[in-house]
Amino acid sequence: MKANVNMWFIMTAFFALITGVYAAWWFLTYGGWEPIGTSALAMLTFMSIFLTFYLWKTYRTQGQVPEDRLDANIEDGESELGFFAPWSWWPIFVGAASGLTFASLAVGWWLTFIAAPLALIGVVGYVFEHSRGHFAH
Amino acid sequence: MATLTDNRKSGGYQFPGKKSKGEIIVDWITTTDHKKIGYLYLITSFIYFLIGGVMALVIRAQLTLPGLDIVQTKEQYNQLFTMHGTIMLLMFATPLFAGFANVLMPVQIGAPDVAFPRLNAIAFWFFFFGSLVAVSGFFTPQGAASFGWFAYAPLSNTTFSPGIGGDLWVFGLALSGFGTIMGGVNFITTILTMRAPGMTMFRMPIFTWNTLVTSILVIMAFPPLAAALFALGADRRFGAHIFDPVNGGPMLWQHLFWFFGHPEVYIIALPFFGIVSEIFPVFSRKPVFGYKTLIFATIAIAALSMTVWAHHMYVTGSVLLPFFAFTTMLIAVPTGVKIFNWIGTMWRGSITFETPMLYSLGFLTTFIFGGLTGVILASPPLTFHLSDSYFVVAHFHYVVFGTVVFAMFAGFFFWWPKFTGKMLDERLGKIQFWLLFFGFHITFLIQHWLGVIGMPRRYATYLPEDGFTWMNMVSTSGSVLLALSMIPFLWNLYVTARRAPTVSLDDPWGYGRSLEWATSSPFPRHNFHSIPRIRSESPAFDLHHPEHASAEAKAAANEDRK
Repeated sequence: MKANVNMWFIMTAFFALITGVYAAWWFLTYGGWEPIGTSALAMLTFMSIFLTFYLWKTYRTQGQVPEDRLDANIEDGESELGFFAPWSWWPIFVGAASGLTFASLAVGWWLTFIAAPLALIGVVGYVFEHSRGHFAH
Repeated sequence: MATLTDNRKSGGYQFPGKKSKGEIIVDWITTTDHKKIGYLYLITSFIYFLIGGVMALVIRAQLTLPGLDIVQTKEQYNQLFTMHGTIMLLMFATPLFAGFANVLMPVQIGAPDVAFPRLNAIAFWFFFFGSLVAVSGFFTPQGAASFGWFAYAPLSNTTFSPGIGGDLWVFGLALSGFGTIMGGVNFITTILTMRAPGMTMFRMPIFTWNTLVTSILVIMAFPPLAAALFALGADRRFGAHIFDPVNGGPMLWQHLFWFFGHPEVYIIALPFFGIVSEIFPVFSRKPVFGYKTLIFATIAIAALSMTVWAHHMYVTGSVLLPFFAFTTMLIAVPTGVKIFNWIGTMWRGSITFETPMLYSLGFLTTFIFGGLTGVILASPPLTFHLSDSYFVVAHFHYVVFGTVVFAMFAGFFFWWPKFTGKMLDERLGKIQFWLLFFGFHITFLIQHWLGVIGMPRRYATYLPEDGFTWMNMVSTSGSVLLALSMIPFLWNLYVTARRAPTVSLDDPWGYGRSLEWATSSPFPRHNFHSIPRIRSESPAFDLHHPEHASAEAKAAANEDRK
């Protein structure tokens, strides 16, 4: 995780620097500020800060994990990796219903009234497919 | 390693005996297995590659001689080049990355699946149905979108491009873009959290590293595209004035589009750099030269690629020319480092020329050409002359065809035994390579000179007096050769599926390095029956060639013997 924190930290620093350089360069050349590129770069910097912070926080909480140790053996890992759905009907249902919903924005509202509820059903089905209530897993 | 999962042996329903066709279809469309989803991506994107290729052939046929009318109207010609670009970029190259990454990345890090298997499936279906919506414009009376794949405002508004085809294009791409973002998030999470013990970040195969960096680019570049497309959709359908020229809309669109569009070029390039970085060491019998510099170069390319977008906008005259010329030329440095590393990997190696290696070398030569013309185009004074000419067309075909198509075939031939358990036919593969290689270069090399003498891109025809005729004839004849090269490949797929013997080896090439060569061919459902100990970036090589294993792997083995 440390390598990831470092990578994101370097990228954040780079984007922050570039945002400043871009804004200043524009200001010195044309005066004023260039709204589109500067805000795009600033938001990119913001997103990088967010991700760097999250990864750093995770690294602090999690500590050393076997996949970051040079001398870890396979058996050092967690025996249980999590739950993997063996199959699911919901992805194709959500996909098709969303496809119809998005197409309906181009085609006409009548289709939206048919497609959007289907998409909603799909999302609910997808979210609750393997749900067994709070803390029941 | 135990995984809490369904106990049945293969994915989906387990039917007794031979599966019926319906059962096979249900198995595929309900799958959450990362490999099957990967194959769905690969198959769908390859079909789009063929469709986009046919469009390119019609475009080339139209341009063979001056004054032809092979397409009945100029509007149809506009639709063809628009959809050719859209299909090749967003329905072929981008999902092809998702396909290769899905199949290989979890295996390369020793994981049983991706972090979010159902999200992975949704990402595929969003791409699938979104693309269907975007191309369905062809079945409407006014035809598909015809404003060019970068949909410049104000051309893309309803005054200049009326018709439902454009609306379908906008909303279809928005949906498939969401699919791409979900795929990116899924890949990043998988790589950060599901590596096998001992698989540190700096022991991951280059392909996995490139998947990570590409996914990071996806989550940085696709949200601006989604925003821009929804704004364009609001303009077109709900009478908003976001990209109205009165409000400075054209510049807003161009900035937003290229803030996505330039990283997109690297999204479709980096994973394919990763593929050839896996192939060169195997067929040179040497570890990759400068493993860490390759990774740092990839990260540098990713970071820089977010800062070069406006080099597509030099001719607007309202961008910071020196800034973007500088960053654009700077990005040639890490790219050059990569080329240096690939050549260093082959240097004094024991090279054999199997089909995957041939394709990787084809990639290398083609991509270097494209990279050099890229440096030419990075300088504003030259771009002012060359912009929107066939020089640019030649440049980006060298870059993207060189990376995506050559590396795609390299990857297909290299990993086919892992995908299906059978090796593709080498002889047919070599015939196909030479057809493709010469077909490609005959088609596109001459287009540089076409651009220099002034042929503009996106014009449906030209005059005999222009003097473009003979070069266009050369280019079209090359494109025929290029199209023919698909026949040996499709024949190869058929013959291999029908007749080729099953490979029983884990590593049929003999010198495979990353973890996918340490499991059976084809992969078992959750990828591994057992994972070898990981002590270097080549765990499979350490396992199969203990006498030449890395120092750490030897030390660990000695430790065991005591």
